[in-house]
Amino acid sequence: MNTFTTRRAFLRSTLLGGALSWTVPNFIANTFSVMHAHAADKATQVATGKDSQILVVMQLAGGNDGVNTVIPFASDEYYKARPKLAVPKSDVLQINDQLGLNPALSALKEMYDGGEVALINGVGYPNPNRSHFRSTEIWHTASDADKVEKYGWIGRYFDNCCTGADPEVGINIGGQMPQAMSAKVPRGVSLDNPGSYRFIAGGETEEAMQEEKTYRRMNRQARMEMGQADEELATSGGSISMLSGPTKSAGSPLDFIERTAMDAQVSSDKIRALLARQPKGGTGTEASYPGTQIANNLRLISKLIAGGMTTRVYYLSMGGFDTHANQAQSHPRLLKEFSEAVKAFYADLKTQGNADRVTVLTFSEFGRRVAENGSQGTDHGAAAPMFLFGPRVKAGLYGAYPSLAPKDLDKGDVKYNVDFRAVYASVLASVLKVPGKTVLGRDFELLPVMKA
Amino acid sequence: MLSPLPDSRWTYEAAAHLLNRAGFGGAPHEIDRLYKMGARAAVASLVDYDQIPETVEAPDWAKPDPELAERIRSYRSLPEEEKRKKQAEERREEARRLISLRGWWLERMATTARPLQEKMTLFWHGHFATSVQKVRVAYLMYQQNETFRKYALGSWRRMLVAVSQDPAMLIWLDNAKSTRKQPNENYAREVMELFTLGEGHYTEDDVRAAARAFTGWTLGPDRQTFVERRGQHDDGDKTFLGASGPLTGEDIINRIVRQPQAAIYISQRLWNFFGSPEENPRVIASMAKVLTDNNMEFKALMRTLFLSEEFYTPQVMRQQVKSPVQWLIGTTKMLEMKLPEAPVTTGVLNRLGQNLFAPPNVKGWDGGISWISTNYLLNRYNMAGAIVEGNEQDLLPGGGKGLNKTVGPVKKMLKRFGIEAGNVFKPAEVDGLFTRKELATRESLFVALQKRFLQGELRPERARALREFMNGMNELGPTEVRDSIRLLMSTPDYQVA
Repeated sequence: MNTFTTRRAFLRSTLLGGALSWTVPNFIANTFSVMHAHAADKATQVATGKDSQILVVMQLAGGNDGVNTVIPFASDEYYKARPKLAVPKSDVLQINDQLGLNPALSALKEMYDGGEVALINGVGYPNPNRSHFRSTEIWHTASDADKVEKYGWIGRYFDNCCTGADPEVGINIGGQMPQAMSAKVPRGVSLDNPGSYRFIAGGETEEAMQEEKTYRRMNRQARMEMGQADEELATSGGSISMLSGPTKSAGSPLDFIERTAMDAQVSSDKIRALLARQPKGGTGTEASYPGTQIANNLRLISKLIAGGMTTRVYYLSMGGFDTHANQAQSHPRLLKEFSEAVKAFYADLKTQGNADRVTVLTFSEFGRRVAENGSQGTDHGAAAPMFLFGPRVKAGLYGAYPSLAPKDLDKGDVKYNVDFRAVYASVLASVLKVPGKTVLGRDFELLPVMKA
Repeated sequence: MLSPLPDSRWTYEAAAHLLNRAGFGGAPHEIDRLYKMGARAAVASLVDYDQIPETVEAPDWAKPDPELAERIRSYRSLPEEEKRKKQAEERREEARRLISLRGWWLERMATTARPLQEKMTLFWHGHFATSVQKVRVAYLMYQQNETFRKYALGSWRRMLVAVSQDPAMLIWLDNAKSTRKQPNENYAREVMELFTLGEGHYTEDDVRAAARAFTGWTLGPDRQTFVERRGQHDDGDKTFLGASGPLTGEDIINRIVRQPQAAIYISQRLWNFFGSPEENPRVIASMAKVLTDNNMEFKALMRTLFLSEEFYTPQVMRQQVKSPVQWLIGTTKMLEMKLPEAPVTTGVLNRLGQNLFAPPNVKGWDGGISWISTNYLLNRYNMAGAIVEGNEQDLLPGGGKGLNKTVGPVKKMLKRFGIEAGNVFKPAEVDGLFTRKELATRESLFVALQKRFLQGELRPERARALREFMNGMNELGPTEVRDSIRLLMSTPDYQVA
């Protein structure tokens, strides 16, 4: 077993070099605090601190059928276009004399009645694209439909407002980073399973500890070893961009991977330390979540918030909304999963005392065709409703519900009344405290969807 | 023009680079063999693979099932419970076949004597990016895979005709649904936007004309074979990319392939996959010229590319992020070990972000640095731990949580393949990997490790850390060698080739 020199030598090396093993290496921690001080000069809020506002962005991927989500039950056109799929008026969860929610959204209705949901109708953009990947790209990059943007809207928020922030300023629950988070300076981390979000060495033996220690040394960003980081800060007049600057992401793949390796190590330590402090099985509350994937992911986010992560934006996605066929079976199930997960999430956050800090924004790459198709489903459409959740939203209905009259449709799809970037801008201003223009490149009229 | 590689630049590292890119890498003796052949013969041994005999049997289930469509239809009239049971059975069988198909292809990549054929097939799979999520039938994915293999280094025109008539593609991009009365534009658009020309090199009118021309290319009643239905074909006059007449699907493809942009576009894609993700208009233009000079056949192009100086510059060598497939196959080849069972490799690739036969969308995998996120990187390090040290803690999540729909719960699948979870990964056999001379000192082992697993050098800080780790070891037994290998694989450097 004992293949390493002596136990004493091993302990010595662990206590000296290896003292870093379970915490963030000191020089890095120092560097980050220097960087925060620097960022504090900016007009925008520093992206750190346990009491900051948090945005959770949730994609309902595949194109959620907006017409059967928020149902215009007073419209004859609705029942004409959907002979098989229309929800009978008597089943709709009415919110006024025109509109109501799909009966599968009873959890959402409760939150709506409790004053914690802003429902924005008819959200879209000019010249809608009906391809999943292109329209997703447009929503993720907040670009015009005829322009291709490289970076995501959340990524641009990081670039503009989070210089010097820790990598976990943005956390994506999943494998691949969503384009929304791609930034000039790569930032943000992805994880799906906190149990394996770490370097796993074989057990608790000394060898394993040496192995882990060596992994740590080998996955520190090369340029930051031996106090170089501070030197660089000094020589560059305190400019953060030297550390993780654009040349890094534009540099060699190896540079990029080094940076990611470093982010992985730092964020893994933080996340695990934080989850370890929490009582087993929950966030310290007895909150119960449904057993669905989306609920699990929201529970993970809740744990991270409860633990005091400095994360400003969480991103997660729920798939299955591409309901071309037999929609009557799948769509209500999806809506139920989605709304019950969000309800459980807020119940949990309230018990924690963090609900006031968290706003959830949901979007889908497009809505669906008004008329049902021949396979009891619906095809790709255009505008659709968006939801904002949380105690800080000004509850109610926003945006005019688009007309379903055939003469008002664009190739069979409803026309948008609210540009999705106006919703982004409102959330950026209110939750992330940054003028929309900084991130979106131009001004969009703010919607009064958030409390001051 | 591409400059020929001078003899003086043909080194062991160059041979390793060639085998990494034109295949899936290899052990030092395989690289040595290529190196000693000289560049021309080495490249020929990869490119002229039709001279290397190879017989690989299809998976046992991979045969036409003409009754499938009818069988599925017949379930509809069954009582509800029985219907559900039958449908679940079909789904289970399809899921098993998909995993078996993935294992079959990976095994082929790992053991073939024609590595370039499999690498090209992987390229075409990413290029034509068809997903089983819509196609649903593993047999059709198998057929398409064989089509890619058959035309892998053939002519662009023939590949495009074959793909346009491929049953999986007819389903994937809806041409099977396209009729004279209601032409579906999906395939017509993507064949130009994604497969051959790129946006901006055709008009919406061209899309409509092509859609009309492709009508009649559809599926037979078995939904498994291509048929040409004259009655469904729109034989009216059309104008497409400047040509007019009663154009057919073949006319459309001929017209596309004759566009100068067609040679540029596919050269670009090939350069990105085999060479570098960086823009390099001069190289692309040179490649396009080779292609047009050779009747749009890929064999000559790949030979010229692999023999060019441009392919071996420092901007290209060891500058590619390994795809998860490259990472997995290369790792087992460098370890000279057998590939794990199909449900295991399927689970590994899922955790690294590349589910074969299920690319994320019609654009395929983005590749390059998009293979690397904090999550994927830690997964790579831990998968290396599983493969090398046999450490499988936390690596096989049960219940399918977090797994892609096309993967399914790994543990359940293992059972169906007769494998006990908890016995999936065993420590790799490392006894034969190093000579006694290489095992003589820690330093000689360190050098041998770099040669075998990196074909290059660790960055200095990492080399220092690994040397210190190795110096701390009392002996150089199999456990110590494995620990060192796993650590070498848990570096940024190992993720590129």
